[in-house]
Amino acid sequence: MKNSGKLVSFLVPIISILLAFIIGCIIMAVLGANPFVALESLWIGAFGSLRNVGTTLARSTPLIFTSLCACFAYRCGVFNLGGEGQFLMGSIVCCYIATQSGIEGLPAILLCLVGGAVAGGVWSLIAGLLKVYRGQNEMIITIMLNYVATLFMGVVYTNWLRDGSVPQTQAVPDATQLSRLFGLRVTSAFVIALVVGLLVYYFLFYTSKGFQLRAVGLNMTAAEFNGFAVKKYILMSFIVSGAIAGLGGSAELLGTQFRLINGFGNGYGFDGVAMALIGQLHPIATILVAIFFAALRVGSTTMQAATGVPTSVCDIIQALVIVFTVAGLAMVKLPGFKAFLGRLTERRKEAA
Amino acid sequence: MEFVMNIILSSVRMATPLIFLALAELYSQRAGLVHIGLEGLASIGSLVGFLVSLITGSPMLGVLAGAAVGILVNMIFAYATVTLCAEQIVYGMAINIFAPALAAFIYRVYFGAGSELVQVGLMNTLSGSLGITSDNFLVRLLLDQTPMVYLAYGLVIFTVIYFNRTKSGLNYKAVGEYPKAAATLGINVIGVKYLACVICGALAGIGGAYLTTCYANTYVDGNVAGRGFIALAAVIFGRWSGAGVLLACLFFGFCDALQIRLQVSSFGVPYQFFQMIPYVATVVVLASIGMKKAGPKSSGKPYLKEER
Repeated sequence: MKNSGKLVSFLVPIISILLAFIIGCIIMAVLGANPFVALESLWIGAFGSLRNVGTTLARSTPLIFTSLCACFAYRCGVFNLGGEGQFLMGSIVCCYIATQSGIEGLPAILLCLVGGAVAGGVWSLIAGLLKVYRGQNEMIITIMLNYVATLFMGVVYTNWLRDGSVPQTQAVPDATQLSRLFGLRVTSAFVIALVVGLLVYYFLFYTSKGFQLRAVGLNMTAAEFNGFAVKKYILMSFIVSGAIAGLGGSAELLGTQFRLINGFGNGYGFDGVAMALIGQLHPIATILVAIFFAALRVGSTTMQAATGVPTSVCDIIQALVIVFTVAGLAMVKLPGFKAFLGRLTERRKEAA
Repeated sequence: MEFVMNIILSSVRMATPLIFLALAELYSQRAGLVHIGLEGLASIGSLVGFLVSLITGSPMLGVLAGAAVGILVNMIFAYATVTLCAEQIVYGMAINIFAPALAAFIYRVYFGAGSELVQVGLMNTLSGSLGITSDNFLVRLLLDQTPMVYLAYGLVIFTVIYFNRTKSGLNYKAVGEYPKAAATLGINVIGVKYLACVICGALAGIGGAYLTTCYANTYVDGNVAGRGFIALAAVIFGRWSGAGVLLACLFFGFCDALQIRLQVSSFGVPYQFFQMIPYVATVVVLASIGMKKAGPKSSGKPYLKEER
């Protein structure tokens, strides 16, 4: 039964993705494009050449960070929807250090990354303290803090660090930018993202603290009766998840964007939540899902050029995947469905 | 004095979409369904309301269409959370991702890549359609409002009476408090939950459509601007009662009105700081009311008929 459970939790997202693509193809056909041509150009755009692969991985990097942020928090039962705000606060602090401190090169990079992570962690901790000590709903608080962070970034790029007449900040100095890998668009930020993912995986599944954190997430009351420091774990999950997002914000600024500008990081928070949920809160699966959706986005530009189908059809596909996955995962847990599965396996045994 | 009057007038206007959204949440939670996807429902309602009022030239039809699409999208939520017993929070989030994506897509397809701002006529106010023009404050407060404002306050009164004074309302509340007991009394729990989703979808769709038919004359992505979540906070702040929710919405509407006024009369402070006011106010209000739990007891929990 345990194996079939694992198989099902693997199959549900796959089937959801297929269903979403089928609906996506129907939409493309309705819009008058040939879905097969569209899918082909989608594939070529995302993986057609080494250069495109590099672009896809670069695009996936910030998504990996925000999805790991969501993944880590949800494992502890904390619905941190503030990945975006934490990401932005990280990038703002990073921008200050990179452009104002006068330090350049590797020391500046390290300082920026640490500063970004700290900023993200602190921003997230506000929501954590309000949840633990005031019993507040962390979802509303983190969403509100997202808006505050976005507006604050607005102050920074339109006022405080504005670069001349254009509403954007100065660029990060060349020496402080993260190096590209093999001359492709993808930078060492991607490597950092992978390392963070592996660390999260190791922590959650191979350490006793990680086990206790997951126990808090599964059943808070039981964990409390077992003497686990529930409040401490909740606060820790806020800080760590915020720090992951903040680190992502600095890595994105130093690796890809170099300037804060209108729309920086827009939507990454909710995207991260979607990817963590589709990856069923498994860090490695979450990374793969993030790369998959980044590929979809990079490819969609090529698709638009080739067939005229707007890129936002890919947002629909992504949204459908999450709608189907969450519903599908709930469906397989229903007693009726379990009984149905049980009957199937019994019949197979009888046949054998 | 002029300043205060203007703020009061615009508070009423800004509170209206929040009232629709908060009532949507209230009806949902009273049937035991926590819905964090209002933001998404409002965004699709806002787009469809905009398109229909652009095509037909009638903002009223736009609002109706917004309600219809809200119901339609919320049926996905209903099926997943009531029938499939999916986690409500997670599914609400899925709606929050799905509905705005759909709205943005429809907008792109309809208007093409050229992002020329299209504008529609707004709904007439009562005094406008009656032909009354007056600078008297009371006349403006009571008559210079769109029909949607009166609808919102009417719904609040209806809600208060329904939940406190009618048998059907008490039955409805029982579903959110203790569904198993409600079921043994012969109440159709699943039916009430679906009904709640219809009401919630319609009200959230109207709340979204208000933004494009009565408030701003155009649609932009993200125009709901967190109102779905502020409404959620208003329900908590208003202690799950119709009157409380109304007061909470007026307060948040006031914050929004204040923010707009202060932006206009900027004192050399970056305008973004004023824009933060409604969001910061929400956090502060939530933090100040503390731990007390007053919501429906079974809110957020799935209801499995077979489970004993």
